[in-house]
Amino acid sequence: MVDKIKQDDLAKIVQSIPMLSASASRLLQLAAQPDHELADVINLVKNDANLTARVLKIVNSAAYGLVTKVTSIERAVSYLGERIVVSVAIDDCSGKLFGKELSGYEAASGDLWKHDLRAAIASREVVTQSGADINPELAFTAGLLHDIGKALISDYLQGSAPEAVELISSQDSLDYLAAEEALIGVDHTVAGYELAKAWQLPDELIQVIRYHHDPAQAGEEVRPLVYAVHLGDNIAMMGGFGTGSDTMRYKLDKSYTDFIHITPNILASIMLTVDTEFQKLEESMLDSGETN
Amino acid sequence: MGQIILGVGDYGASNNPGDEVKTFALGSCVSVIFLDPKTRTVGMAHVALPDSTINKNKAADKPGYFADTAIPALLADMAQFGCDKRGKGLIVKLCGGANVMDTNDTFQIGKRNALTIKKILWSYGMGAVAEDLGGNFSRTVAVSVSAGQVTISSPGKPSWQI
Repeated sequence: MVDKIKQDDLAKIVQSIPMLSASASRLLQLAAQPDHELADVINLVKNDANLTARVLKIVNSAAYGLVTKVTSIERAVSYLGERIVVSVAIDDCSGKLFGKELSGYEAASGDLWKHDLRAAIASREVVTQSGADINPELAFTAGLLHDIGKALISDYLQGSAPEAVELISSQDSLDYLAAEEALIGVDHTVAGYELAKAWQLPDELIQVIRYHHDPAQAGEEVRPLVYAVHLGDNIAMMGGFGTGSDTMRYKLDKSYTDFIHITPNILASIMLTVDTEFQKLEESMLDSGETN
Repeated sequence: MGQIILGVGDYGASNNPGDEVKTFALGSCVSVIFLDPKTRTVGMAHVALPDSTINKNKAADKPGYFADTAIPALLADMAQFGCDKRGKGLIVKLCGGANVMDTNDTFQIGKRNALTIKKILWSYGMGAVAEDLGGNFSRTVAVSVSAGQVTISSPGKPSWQI
């Protein structure tokens, strides 16, 4: 039997999480601005020596197989794209949180970060391969952050995975979200929402974190983005990269078809691209010495 | 005991009695397992997608990735251990192919994977004697070469055998 998290407890949990670095915070703000340019991202990276060093290591890692060494940050960022810079910045300041062992879900250390990277790539591919009118880089960033609430509540779910699974099998809970709520009083989207507010994330990202399992509840303007991440999350789980006991125990909101057109062949192609891109990204980040 | 770990799209076989052939976290992917009682060989493929026509290069590079290329590749691999190259006498077990809840046709990749694999097996005159397919959960599968026993585990559940 696990204890319920009260509103006060949740506030305390959120307070105990370190704030984002200035660079990461600024990058996430930029990501949500539709008219921002890559030059803005480059300037931001230039002003952060650690981030500059990491980005250069990544672009020069074996995974990208470049023949000549890249020494300029402009070239590195242009080559890698905004999304890789965001991944590195988040990993640098919140790597511990994302790398946490989710024992409450019976998931190993690193599983959350891998799931998030896969969901990020998948969300972006959903947008680009379906041709939906959604910012693909923002979809990536939102995919990276969508499950942050799991790191907050996992310790409270310790030992509860069999019970959660049983609640769903017996149809007492409709999905894992409902099981989390039944067990500890807070689900991972609500916990993540509180952290997203404390981190002062842009509204688009806050709404993805809160509604990625129930996109119809998101504000009208961000709804297409939330649907893209909803699909990206499901695709990551289908590809074998979930976060333990909750993997695939969520509902697909079929109304995604109002915003995103995907055929079985497009979906297969997205899954294939996710595998390839993830391998490259993971290798390059390991090469450059990330801590997860 | 040696472990042969297969990633997504990998296939492999062993006749070393001390070995275990294992693959982690099958979501919509399907693990095709061949057991040969005659040569005591175990083979497995971790199939991700049904149809290789979407990317021929990937299929050439990693035939285990697609149902239609994985089965011939696995049979050819097992033939090196003296197994029949058309799969005669092999025992077939299948697991994985899960789907997310309330899914629609497009997202039923797990179901399409399983169905395509079965059709290809039929074309060889083969069929599964045991299967653990579908559902809404992820599976890790291990096969011991000595006992030919298939053990499935999933977070939050006690492990089981087929």
